[in-house]
Amino acid sequence: MANVRRISQIVFILLFFYLLVQTQYQGRDEIGYPVRLFLDLDPLFAGLLLLSSFSFKPILLLSLITVGVSLILGRFFCGWVCPFGTLHNAARELARRPRKLEHGLYARTQAWKYAVLVGVVVSGVFSMSVLGVMDPLSLTVRSISLGIGPSLELIVRAAFDGLYAHGPGWLTAASEPAYNFLKDHVLAFSQPRFLQGAFVGLIFIGLLALNAAKSRFWCRYVCPLGALLGVLSKPALLRLGLVGQCDRCGKCVLSCPTGASPALADGWRKAECIYCWNCVEACPTNALAFTFATPRAKDGRVDLSRRNFVWSLGAGLVAVPLVRVSPSLSRPNPRLIRPPGARPEKEFLERCVKCSECMRVCLTNGLQPTLAEAGLEGMWSPMLVPRIGYCEYSCTLCGQVCPTGAIEKLDLDTKRKTVIGLAFIDKNRCLPHAMNVNCAVCEEQCPTPKKAIVFKDTESVDANGNKFTLKLPYVVPELCIGCGICENKCPVVDEPAIYVTNLNESRSPSRSLLLAPKSTP
Amino acid sequence: MDRRQFLKVTGASAATLAVTGMNPLAALAAREQTSGGQAAAQASAKQAAQQGPLAFVVTRGGKPEKNYAAALKALGGISKFVTRGDVVVVKPNIGWDRTPAQAATTDPTLVGAVVKSCYDGGAKKVKVFDYPCNDPRRTYVRSGIAEAAKAAGAEVSFIDDRKFRRVDMKGTVLKTWPVYAEALDCDRLINVPIAKHHGSARLTMCLKNWMGVIGDPRGRLHQDFDHSLADLGRFFRPSLSVLDATRILTAYGPQGGDTKDVRTLNTLVVGTDEVAIDSYGATFFGMKGAQLGYLVQAARLGVGQVDLTKVRHSVIDVA
Repeated sequence: MANVRRISQIVFILLFFYLLVQTQYQGRDEIGYPVRLFLDLDPLFAGLLLLSSFSFKPILLLSLITVGVSLILGRFFCGWVCPFGTLHNAARELARRPRKLEHGLYARTQAWKYAVLVGVVVSGVFSMSVLGVMDPLSLTVRSISLGIGPSLELIVRAAFDGLYAHGPGWLTAASEPAYNFLKDHVLAFSQPRFLQGAFVGLIFIGLLALNAAKSRFWCRYVCPLGALLGVLSKPALLRLGLVGQCDRCGKCVLSCPTGASPALADGWRKAECIYCWNCVEACPTNALAFTFATPRAKDGRVDLSRRNFVWSLGAGLVAVPLVRVSPSLSRPNPRLIRPPGARPEKEFLERCVKCSECMRVCLTNGLQPTLAEAGLEGMWSPMLVPRIGYCEYSCTLCGQVCPTGAIEKLDLDTKRKTVIGLAFIDKNRCLPHAMNVNCAVCEEQCPTPKKAIVFKDTESVDANGNKFTLKLPYVVPELCIGCGICENKCPVVDEPAIYVTNLNESRSPSRSLLLAPKSTP
Repeated sequence: MDRRQFLKVTGASAATLAVTGMNPLAALAAREQTSGGQAAAQASAKQAAQQGPLAFVVTRGGKPEKNYAAALKALGGISKFVTRGDVVVVKPNIGWDRTPAQAATTDPTLVGAVVKSCYDGGAKKVKVFDYPCNDPRRTYVRSGIAEAAKAAGAEVSFIDDRKFRRVDMKGTVLKTWPVYAEALDCDRLINVPIAKHHGSARLTMCLKNWMGVIGDPRGRLHQDFDHSLADLGRFFRPSLSVLDATRILTAYGPQGGDTKDVRTLNTLVVGTDEVAIDSYGATFFGMKGAQLGYLVQAARLGVGQVDLTKVRHSVIDVA
């Protein structure tokens, strides 16, 4: 059975990576199968979305599958499905540390995760930002999309580019088709780069490295989803039982990755068990077996003392106001340009779970994770950085992949009219304004049918005394949607001579610029 | 030249001679050329008096592929422009994430027809690519060009950053510049731009289309279009240029977006003198070639003839 479990884990992690690869433009305006599917399975997102915004997305009904499975089969999801769990298994194998008996036995400290659960749920009622950081599925998608994946791509690309540049012809003849295949089917269209990539990736590697200390460290002590499923497992019918002669060799305990105390004398812990079947497989006398039986109250104990419960409740209550103690809501960072379809900032932060799906799918790599730009509450939420990539005029992908509706799915027509910012010309750096040289790149690139950047033709004289027509660009605020392509393509490549701020964004009417916008010609 | 090279060159020229000489299609094309010449003579007696080959023909009234076929016929057939075994690069405008109806990119059926004609002429391989301004994946799809070119048998690829080669363009303002290797290494170049309004160049046609095979920082060219576009025209010598005026964008170019600014002309200007073709193209917008600084400069560099009274051309109405 343990092998069946391994196959299940392999299938699900392959599915996870397949969906991750699919989370990019596929030649159609509508995206096929985003990795959001795994996020949709997460009952924490569904439940808290319901609690915090009294709204519900039908797709989140999928999470009822997870709930249902847990009610019958316990933390089956953790052992058989969860991609982060599977990576933990792999890390445990890689660590190859001598196993200790006490690691297979339950320790009271494992109840920390319930405190984490209480904390994220309580804070989640007000804002899902803390949950987003802690949720294992969000964490895995984010870390791989922003950090691990791009760094692996760098290696692959460097290897093939090296062969292309220096390899002998016969080798390149073989490597280039292989590279093209990878580019078509696995790699991103161009090398993705993310501002917090290293940070997020290192945290992920660190969490996996904790397997060297204790196997499935995250799942034992931290994971709020694991804790939730542990609580849900109370009525689960699948239980570990003694069906033969136990000779107390302790191999079941040594094989247990989560400290569920499979040697029944110590009292098996259902809420810790991930049904990996290791213990059953390890038993030399075949004395252990999982059987369906009426649940016993003793199995499903959750050791969260009242004192700790109150502490975590308090922590959860304080968490949101604490991360919100920042003027960023009332005085937002001008460069905090949210993707089109993002809800008003407060609502947006309440929903964003920092899964980075929108950043992964962004065509231009322009959506980047914030660090401090949106306050602590908004850390790792998406922000358009036009110097890195602009918002493509006819693309609506970010809204399509958002699991919680923090970015609403817009139809093309609405998207093209949604204002995310306003362009400003830095006349001290702009070629025509500052250097008396014609340029016009911003005007050419401006995507609105009636250009939001237009020229004022003026008579000018160059340094040699020759008269010429100087085209001075200016921005028409009624037409600019803040897509940032002007800033992205501005030939003044260091500090751009035209840049976008989030003024005028449609989602916050209080931040519009003009008293009465003129009707445009 | 070593012996191997010598044998290669003489062998190749002998083969070319044999193939074109014996090709019944080429003979046919030659016959059609005379009839095309007659049509041109009828169209303009003054031009008929002039010596030299046709610089371009204008075909109008039909669908893009019909107009193109008629133009090829008048110019003497594809064998004049493609020889057996050639690797041909067909360079349309796929610059923007727009649909064909918005007239910011070359008509896809025209691109398909040009690709097909190259294979009819015996091309070994036809490559189609552009270095777009918007996301390449979207522009290739939305313009319809990737699909049409692939259907016609072309190898359609995205720009690969590694394949730019820095070359000395020996221009007035363009000195050394990265140029896409596949545009340098091919046997034949065929330029298939669309005629559009442009905010700073005023119009974009043949010469401006070469910006799609050069690398960055190409945005700098905007500082002096007159000289840089003329330099591009002098550097890239296509065997054939097909200016697409099936639909033209009359305002808010080069991207447009509003079909109200699009006019349907169902016209092509096909030929070998890009300056003359662009000069003719300017008339679609009520302008003269001489009003476009880059054409004047290109003519000064000897790229072509901006004065249409000095070049032989004909206008053919395609039913």
